[in-house]
Amino acid sequence: MSTTATTDSAKPSAIRKMAPQELLRVEGITKVYDGSVKAVDNISLTVATGEIFALLGGSGCGKSTLLRMLAGFEKPTNGKIFLAGKDITDLPAYKRPINMMFQSYALFPHLSVWENIAFGLRRDDMAKGDIAERVESMLSLVQLDKFAKRKPHQLSGGQQQRVALARSLAKRPKLLLLDEPLGALDKKLREKTQLELVNIIEEVGVTCVLVTHDQEEAMTMASRIAVMSEGSFMQVGSPDEVYEMPNSRQVADFIGNVNIFDGIIEEDESDHVTIRCEECLHYVGHGISGNVGMSVGVALRPEKITLSKEQPQSEYNWCAGEVVEIVYFGAHTTYHLKLDSGKVIKAQELNNTRDLSCGLTWGDRAYAHWNDMAMVVLTY
Amino acid sequence: MNKLFGRAWMIAVYIFLYMPIVTLVIYSFNASPLVTVWSEASLRWYVALANDGDLIAAVWLSLKIAFLSSLMSVFFGTFTAFALTRYKRFPGRTLLSSMSSTPLVMPDVIVGLSLLLMLVSLQHWLGFPERGLFTILLGHALLGTAYAAVVVTSRLNEMDKRLDEAAMDLGCRPFQVFRLVTLPLLVPALVSAFLLTFTLSFDDVVLSSFLSGPGYSTLPMVIFSRARLGLNPTINAVAAVTIAVVSIAVIASSIYQSRAERQRKREVAQAYSDANQ
Ligand SMILES: Nc1ncnc2c1ncn2[C@@H]1O[C@H](COP(=O)(O)OP(=O)(O)OP(=O)(O)O)[C@@H](O)[C@H]1O
Ligand SMILES: [Mg+2]
Repeated sequence: MSTTATTDSAKPSAIRKMAPQELLRVEGITKVYDGSVKAVDNISLTVATGEIFALLGGSGCGKSTLLRMLAGFEKPTNGKIFLAGKDITDLPAYKRPINMMFQSYALFPHLSVWENIAFGLRRDDMAKGDIAERVESMLSLVQLDKFAKRKPHQLSGGQQQRVALARSLAKRPKLLLLDEPLGALDKKLREKTQLELVNIIEEVGVTCVLVTHDQEEAMTMASRIAVMSEGSFMQVGSPDEVYEMPNSRQVADFIGNVNIFDGIIEEDESDHVTIRCEECLHYVGHGISGNVGMSVGVALRPEKITLSKEQPQSEYNWCAGEVVEIVYFGAHTTYHLKLDSGKVIKAQELNNTRDLSCGLTWGDRAYAHWNDMAMVVLTY
Repeated sequence: MNKLFGRAWMIAVYIFLYMPIVTLVIYSFNASPLVTVWSEASLRWYVALANDGDLIAAVWLSLKIAFLSSLMSVFFGTFTAFALTRYKRFPGRTLLSSMSSTPLVMPDVIVGLSLLLMLVSLQHWLGFPERGLFTILLGHALLGTAYAAVVVTSRLNEMDKRLDEAAMDLGCRPFQVFRLVTLPLLVPALVSAFLLTFTLSFDDVVLSSFLSGPGYSTLPMVIFSRARLGLNPTINAVAAVTIAVVSIAVIASSIYQSRAERQRKREVAQAYSDANQ
């Protein structure tokens, strides 16, 4: 027991440390609208205290519905929700120790910033002095002390977003729900605000469930991500797990850029696999669960590909093509390579010197190669 | 060419709409007892109005009925609208929604007549209500509720439902949501519903004629009955006073609204320029 504790604390906590304690448990939750639309389909999940858990998925996949069931605005058709061990499935929203920060904020337009933040506190039997103290501390947490008297329409988008955050944190909820918290901000402000938001959440130490359709946002903010599609979870894992080890084509495709080759397993050993594709031969340096002759997909991230003008000596893990497009991003450049089969792949090169890294230009013949741990084999 | 036609048309419409009103106001200062012949300017009819007890009593009665019935209309209309917009399924919903808008399309004569029949038989069986102030109020409130419900419903429909959810999320029970969030945001709609039903009641002749009893003549009823006996310039004076009061109210409220709107725009702009500094 004590040994585990020491190894735990010895680990560098790059991502926030996961407390072992479970806060939220959802068991087989389903929501059917109007008897036919299955918005959420038999989802189970647990969220530990202190985690930031992101629900990531395309439009209409049921993220908001799941979140609204947690908040208590929708009644699940089936399944149970437990918070800190207590069954809250039938508890109305106003009795749950859960607060939500709404998409587009839903600030009360007739109340000042101060009154908006105090709104939830006034519903509890809290002494006047305590309310004032709590509101002041919330205001300074989100750095809006100067704006206490303003009405919501007298604030910019970013400021409104911070008021909404302060309002949802004021009651010290056990669980904070965030529905597209940064959806209404422009891109530049959003990136700045993501980190601010995480800092505030960590300072308060509240557990969060966050809905977003922006994978970068999920990656930056969350300690765990659930990728959703059509009402179900496709994969749940830490950001790096989901990115580096997607379990299906859909996840690989949804998170970041990816090149997917279709192929057939030619050789299946415990320490390596070879996969024959139309374009090239893949040598994967780890075992997989599959059989010879099975058709699979090989996912390769653009940044794991190296481009050169000379043909590689090796007999596998490379292919050749013509440069058809060069997209310069500043920090890196993405090359689109048209392979002889007609397939176009993307390769991303870091611009770590001031001249263009590999001297390739439109129409050049280039060789893309990668190492044997770079790809992920997708069996479905 | 088109523009010219448009402008001419507009002028024609304005003349058509406002000529009678302007004439009426001018002739209220006419010394001659003949409504159509101008002799010289005088305040004679205003003096006559001040001494006309019946007319003044009618004005007061009308104001009283308009005030009370529009309060009732707004009250009942708000709850009807709330039930119809916030509760999508309850027994009798369709019935309520169609019933609440029936008075809008039903001719006043029919509404008045059926109400009268009902009241007469009620009085026959129960001995009350006596026709008079109360029965007029009832009729006006009935009609006004339908109008108020329409005004409030449209406001409720455009109100962000997430505000309700936010309030509930922060610990409000359903009635507290209504009292602390919905109602304050509804105030402008309640004011316009009040003004609308007030004017509806103030100028109603048909319902009032059916429902009033002896000694309860509203202003429009008095004007109407006197007009049948031959026009008397005192009526012009009453009308001119009414028009003055209404115009002042309308102009004041539109000035107030456009000021508030401009103020708001300035504040929004200010907020963004503050944020960018
Ligand atoms: N009140 C409702 N009545 C009927 N169907 C609904 C209702 N709310 C949502 N749905 C349906 O349920 C599905 C999931 O909706 P949901 O709002 O949860 O999606 P989402 O993942 O939040 O999408 P987005 O990213 O666009 O917000 C959709 O197909 C939607 O049409
Ligand atoms: Mg949504």
